[in-house]
Amino acid sequence: MSYYGTNDFSYNSDFNLRIRDIKKGNLDFGWLDDARETVEVRRRDPRRGLTIEDCEVGPYAIENTPEVIRENRGLAPRGAILDAATVQPDLGPSLNKKSDVWGYRVQRYWEEAMSRQWNVSTDVPWHDMDKHNIPDDLEIAFCQLCTLLSEVEMIATDLPAKWSHHMNSYFQEVKGFIATQAIDEARHAEVFRKRALAGAGLFRASVRGEHALKGILEADSYSEGSVFLHVLGEGFILTLFRSSEFISPTPVEQRMFQLVMQDEARHVSYGLQHLKYLMDNCPEVRPQINGFLDEAERHLTGLFNPDQLESMIVLGGKGTKPDQIKKGIEVVGAFQGKQIEEYFHRAERAGLPERRERSPLLELQQRMIAAAMS
Amino acid sequence: MAIKFPSIDFFRELARRMADNAAEFEKLGFCDTVMGVKVDGDSAHLYALTFDVFDCTDVRELASPDDVELDFTLEAPLALWREMFESIKKTGTPEPAYTLNSLSHVGDRMKVVYDDPEGHDKFYRFMATLQAFVDQTSDFDIEWA
Repeated sequence: MSYYGTNDFSYNSDFNLRIRDIKKGNLDFGWLDDARETVEVRRRDPRRGLTIEDCEVGPYAIENTPEVIRENRGLAPRGAILDAATVQPDLGPSLNKKSDVWGYRVQRYWEEAMSRQWNVSTDVPWHDMDKHNIPDDLEIAFCQLCTLLSEVEMIATDLPAKWSHHMNSYFQEVKGFIATQAIDEARHAEVFRKRALAGAGLFRASVRGEHALKGILEADSYSEGSVFLHVLGEGFILTLFRSSEFISPTPVEQRMFQLVMQDEARHVSYGLQHLKYLMDNCPEVRPQINGFLDEAERHLTGLFNPDQLESMIVLGGKGTKPDQIKKGIEVVGAFQGKQIEEYFHRAERAGLPERRERSPLLELQQRMIAAAMS
Repeated sequence: MAIKFPSIDFFRELARRMADNAAEFEKLGFCDTVMGVKVDGDSAHLYALTFDVFDCTDVRELASPDDVELDFTLEAPLALWREMFESIKKTGTPEPAYTLNSLSHVGDRMKVVYDDPEGHDKFYRFMATLQAFVDQTSDFDIEWA
């Protein structure tokens, strides 16, 4: 036990006397003293049910909440009454400023996430695996890819889980959304593990890739972790998923990637909107975010590790013969260029157009263009 | 009865079927986007399909892309749309090279045109719904323009 309360209620005589009194029927209804503003919560669109946005009313609305939360350090939900006569325990949230965590439209992403959940065991047509005969070289390459993706998805599960309890409980929408992200990412790790084990098994874990992933987990602030994970990392992985759907050996793997792609794109959207909110409301952090991204982008090249690259080339060319490898190199080169270009475009829209000029990825992009033209 | 492609009736029929297949689309979840479909050919056609919650609630042909705020537009020549729908017709789902994602990814056979990356990402956020939407054409008797 590492936390001992400031009051032992089991031996507190005032408390015990009060409970005894209540049990005799002497209720004082003190908890009804605070007048509450009556709010009207109604379903704007019955097809959606009662949404988070429907509940953004009066004192409960985030727009009526100050930028910095000073009064609450515990678990009070936004809009609850804090008893001035008692001392709330300090649970130590370090993210008490809205721009630390908020993203435009986060309520919608939370609802979308809840609505678009899927089940690895039953929503992937595993029964069709027997219908297709995948050549050994493609199967092994695919399982090598699944191994790396399992590693990636584990860090993407851990990062939101790591930061959630640091967020002030008034930012419930963000905590709720990143909780859906954690379950999404756990589901992705599950689907890649299951697919590998249903086929040729797991192959080589990526040391280089894991160094890149450690950089995400060790970010100094939530915003740094978010811009690395959601915008940079998941943006790259989204394009990788798109490519993986394109080069999937059978419709079973295609279905897998269609489903994981949807979740990943939602996380990218939140990250983009958080970065945008941060740049709009806290522009003074721009040098810090840029400095962090200079290093994060270097880390990210770790995901271009030789094992993953070779397995993608084999899958892209559909084999290991020289002409197939040549074709695979073209396919992979094209999607890597797209990964970098889409990242620059997202950074620009979020308010960091300078990434295109200062990014270490620029050199990588130029090398790819040169290789493609040679 | 044959349905002409491209035509507004083609997309209205897809929207009607989406409503009839409510269970399938409700399982896939909310889908909120305005998608453009551009068919290039001798005379180009541009359609706006509005998806709201579980339905395609509005289909219209546009004279200009500025007529409606589109999240993204899928642009391809008529011949490629034809290949895609014929692939879907074979088994009810497209061959690997003819999914919406594959066609729009490498080689840019089908272009994804967008202004805001948030709009672009909606194509991927709702991919399973949009693919299921076009897969409904598997038993269409299509009359090609």
